[in-house]
Amino acid sequence: MKVEIKVGLKEGITDPEGLNIKKSLKLLSFDNVENVEVKRSYVIEISGKDEKKIREDVDMMCKKLLINPVIHDYEVEMIK
Amino acid sequence: MQSGSIWGDSMDRSEIKVCVLRIEGTNNEDEMYYAFKRLGASPELVHLKDLKDIFDYNCLMIPGGFSAGDYVRAGAIFASRIRARMANDLHKFIDEGWPVGGICNGFQVLVELGVLPGFKRMDYPDACLFLNNSARFECRPTLLKHENKGKCVFTQNIPKGEVMLVPSAHGEGKLLFPREKEKEYFDRLFENDQIVFRYVDKDGKYAGYPWNPNGSAHNIAGICNEAGNVFGMMPHPERSYFDKNNNGISGMKVFESVLKYIEEK
Amino acid sequence: MSSKQNVFEINLDLPDEKLLELSRKIGIGLSLDEMKSVKNYFKEQGRNPTDIEIQAIGQAWSEHCCYKSSKSLLKKFIFNIEAPQNIFVIKEDAGVVEFDKDYAYVLALESHNHPSAVEPYGGAATGIGGILRDVVCMGAQPVALIDPIFFGPLDLPYDQLPKGVKHPEFIFRGVVAGIRDYGNRVGIPTVSGSVYFHPGYTGNCLVNVGCVGIIKKDDIIHSRVKELGDIFVMVGGKTGRDGIHGVNFASAELDEESETSSRSAVQVGDPITKEPLIHACLEANTKKLLNGMKDLGGGGLSCVVGEMAHAGGFGAKVNLEKVLLKEKGMKPWEIWVSESQERMMLAVSKENLKEVIDIFDKWDVNAAIIGETITERRVLVYYEGEKIFDMDSEFLTGGPLYARDVKVVERDQKDIKTQAPKDVNEILIKMLSDPNIASKDWVILQYDHTVRGSTSLTPLYGDVVNFSPQDSAIIKPVEELNKGLVVSTAVNPFLLEYDPYWGAASAIDEIYRNIVAVGGKPHSLADCLNFGNPEKPERFGDFYQAVMGLNFATKDLQISFSSGNVSLYNESMIGSCPPTPTIVGIGLIDDVNNKISSNFKKEGNSIYIIGNTEREFGGSLYYRILGIDGGIAPKMNPENLIHYSKVLLDSMQKGIVKSCHDLSEGGLAVAIAEMAFGSDYGVEIELPIIKDMRADEFIFSESNTRWVVEVKDDKEFESLFTKNKVPFIKIGKISGKKLVIKQNGVKIIDAPIEKLRDKWKNAIWEHMG
Repeated sequence: MKVEIKVGLKEGITDPEGLNIKKSLKLLSFDNVENVEVKRSYVIEISGKDEKKIREDVDMMCKKLLINPVIHDYEVEMIK
Repeated sequence: MQSGSIWGDSMDRSEIKVCVLRIEGTNNEDEMYYAFKRLGASPELVHLKDLKDIFDYNCLMIPGGFSAGDYVRAGAIFASRIRARMANDLHKFIDEGWPVGGICNGFQVLVELGVLPGFKRMDYPDACLFLNNSARFECRPTLLKHENKGKCVFTQNIPKGEVMLVPSAHGEGKLLFPREKEKEYFDRLFENDQIVFRYVDKDGKYAGYPWNPNGSAHNIAGICNEAGNVFGMMPHPERSYFDKNNNGISGMKVFESVLKYIEEK
Repeated sequence: MSSKQNVFEINLDLPDEKLLELSRKIGIGLSLDEMKSVKNYFKEQGRNPTDIEIQAIGQAWSEHCCYKSSKSLLKKFIFNIEAPQNIFVIKEDAGVVEFDKDYAYVLALESHNHPSAVEPYGGAATGIGGILRDVVCMGAQPVALIDPIFFGPLDLPYDQLPKGVKHPEFIFRGVVAGIRDYGNRVGIPTVSGSVYFHPGYTGNCLVNVGCVGIIKKDDIIHSRVKELGDIFVMVGGKTGRDGIHGVNFASAELDEESETSSRSAVQVGDPITKEPLIHACLEANTKKLLNGMKDLGGGGLSCVVGEMAHAGGFGAKVNLEKVLLKEKGMKPWEIWVSESQERMMLAVSKENLKEVIDIFDKWDVNAAIIGETITERRVLVYYEGEKIFDMDSEFLTGGPLYARDVKVVERDQKDIKTQAPKDVNEILIKMLSDPNIASKDWVILQYDHTVRGSTSLTPLYGDVVNFSPQDSAIIKPVEELNKGLVVSTAVNPFLLEYDPYWGAASAIDEIYRNIVAVGGKPHSLADCLNFGNPEKPERFGDFYQAVMGLNFATKDLQISFSSGNVSLYNESMIGSCPPTPTIVGIGLIDDVNNKISSNFKKEGNSIYIIGNTEREFGGSLYYRILGIDGGIAPKMNPENLIHYSKVLLDSMQKGIVKSCHDLSEGGLAVAIAEMAFGSDYGVEIELPIIKDMRADEFIFSESNTRWVVEVKDDKEFESLFTKNKVPFIKIGKISGKKLVIKQNGVKIIDAPIEKLRDKWKNAIWEHMG
């Protein structure tokens, strides 16, 4: 099974990368750009079919490596 | 740790074994090694795979660089591999008062491990060294003011208030705490004497960019844990050995301090 | 030979136009004559070649691998210049030059132009990867990286951008990010380089990469096998389809289609595989376990096996199925010519094999035994037991040589009388905010230039956050020695475009000045000659002129080229790049603590100019700004260069000189402003009356062999320079917070340093933000 984990910044954390990209887009005269959020996406292939177990594993992966709870939120999407 | 010194309790400098821990991508280990070697200690470059027992050493240093490419997040992979391999030993090593230091990427690793700021024992990070405000890696000289009143074992030999010129080179150096605990945590750092270095300008004032290269709150460049034996800083004292012309030889005082502490421990 | 292993016979029994079509179709880019000599070779062998054989010839005979256009000229005019300090130069991937009695330094310089034009980030990153391997394969520890890079104008309007060409800003951003991410991750400081913007680079940017390493003389290892039975061990990254036909791509002009058709020619770098690969290779070499080592670069396995065996006087037998692959289903010829990154080839004797493999295991780096040396000087390739390649290595590595037609374009140069400009202040501000002069801190601060803790003089240096550009960087490469390596680069494409001969000679003058300016003694050179299509006689005429200029300037200097690279076909549908012979220079300084930096040190100290200022404005920034095409190109005199440098170094040793900066683009005015930028001070200049020259001409002239110095003891300085007959003029002193230049009491420049500094610092940031 494939699982997509999207890691983004928690609300209220300033995102210098997003701000810089926004600035660059404006410089390229995309004046209508309001906001840029940068997210990192991990697509992970996991063997097994037990969705509940996989979901638990994914949460542990996030906790142990993929996110820093101080700044990050994440969403998980199961892709068949 | 047995004492082999002829003067009784204190250790002989050359017997002090410093573990400079490396994995792929840590790339500041040679200068870290020499920083201790030049002062007469016995550093060793140890690959995490080959580390048998941390208690074979008197000091653990995590050097700078891009451990595991800094993929995922600066220091995250190195931290999770240390945790998987030796979490309990590391906490015991810290509890017994042995010094643990991290420079630059090493500081990021200690934060990711949760041992800095180390308000309580935890197995996940309680702080973050986040992307610089400039959103880019920057290599530039920085001025650091020593702020610690004497708790930090890595700076006990440096007078409070001294300003040192130390090179910085990082993309993620802005210290952040959980938003809901931000004020509490910063207050605790100050109250506990856990602030070690802060970025200043030439007049010794807390100034903004570029004096503070990353936008860290309160201009914080380096902190220690409550006991003072775990220490991390973003700038590189091990790189400032040779710049005599620019008043930059003071980086060695960090290494001198921790060796003195171990000698007297 | 059968097609069982996905190997096919290529029929060469074809008429001429079909032969040429075949060369194009299979992507090897050989000319008709070359195809014909391949045809004849196989006729003598009584068979047709296999696809893998003809692909191998395509690699080995490309301009990139065999220098077929440039070799005869270089042999005659560049590589014959000798210097006693050279230990082992030109013949291998990097030059080896004496550092002290126990140590040598290793120098390599290369271009990675075409890949960077198509994919800036990956192209530049793998350029760094490749140059590091060139140094490591001599057994040396890399200690410094050097990156001269050249782009079209940042303000080029999008609607003027030719189809299929990426905007210079995009390429610039990508190249800098590629160098940054690779160099910083692998932990070697990027300490020197240059950035130029010129319309001639719009369709074809140049990315030159250099590396310096340090090695104990006992540990020098060669790129060849040593004895019969040597085992070929391939280490590092796995082999994939990336980078196929890179060298053929590098040997052709870029066109509209290049982006899509050449994408596969660009490799992907992996610094975190490279870093342990370097450790493992150096450890195996220091333990004396290797007989030979060579990196896999252009041409991949195809070039490395043949060249290593041939250079050692043997042949080679390879079992191609032993090569570790990134992807399934690769055809044998693809494996043979792939240019995947992070790979090295070792020649190891049987008794050391286990120990070598163990070292690579320890570092988690792949190692595969893929073949061995044989007596017969042939290369034999087997795939699962079946022979698919059998050629004699002489023919394979021989390659054609050409004497290309040379048409020298005469440059008629006359002195021009101009009107004195009304506002010289404004001209200085235009100069300082010209992207070619403006501060490159947007680039330089993104590179880690202090990693390894051995950088004694950084490229930007001064008063903490305010800095002056330095003429050279200084590295202290050996723990137990205070001796330093001085590293610098030079080339001025505007000057070369105007006059390739004197432009090239001026590049040598500048590199020498740069090294001397920080207190270094010039010691060796590397060149990367970037030019257009050599099949066009005028382009090759420029190449010829530049080579002659280099020869003239260098032949008596007692320093010579230890390493070099030629990159031709730097040409797109909108024309050729300007002639660009990038020069990297290495100097030595006995004690890094005696370095001289360019930023002003102390209020009240005197300012002197050393050397003669002439009416030389051909190719100058001044005439560019005035919109004048003409004037006389700066000349140089090697004898004066040597003599002035010697006296200047002497005065530095005596402690009389406190700061020093060479005079190059923008002349005296720009140099003085730059010296002030890294300090808290201003400067007051009072020019003497100079014959045949107005004050504005004097301060903007780009004559060679000149420096500005800050002097502590005027009397001692003047007596030393007078005694040695070196021309100098005292022109002012460090004072106040403004840059003031007067003549006869009339101020021609009067501006606060702060204002000039802002213009200089912000010009590139305004584009790149």
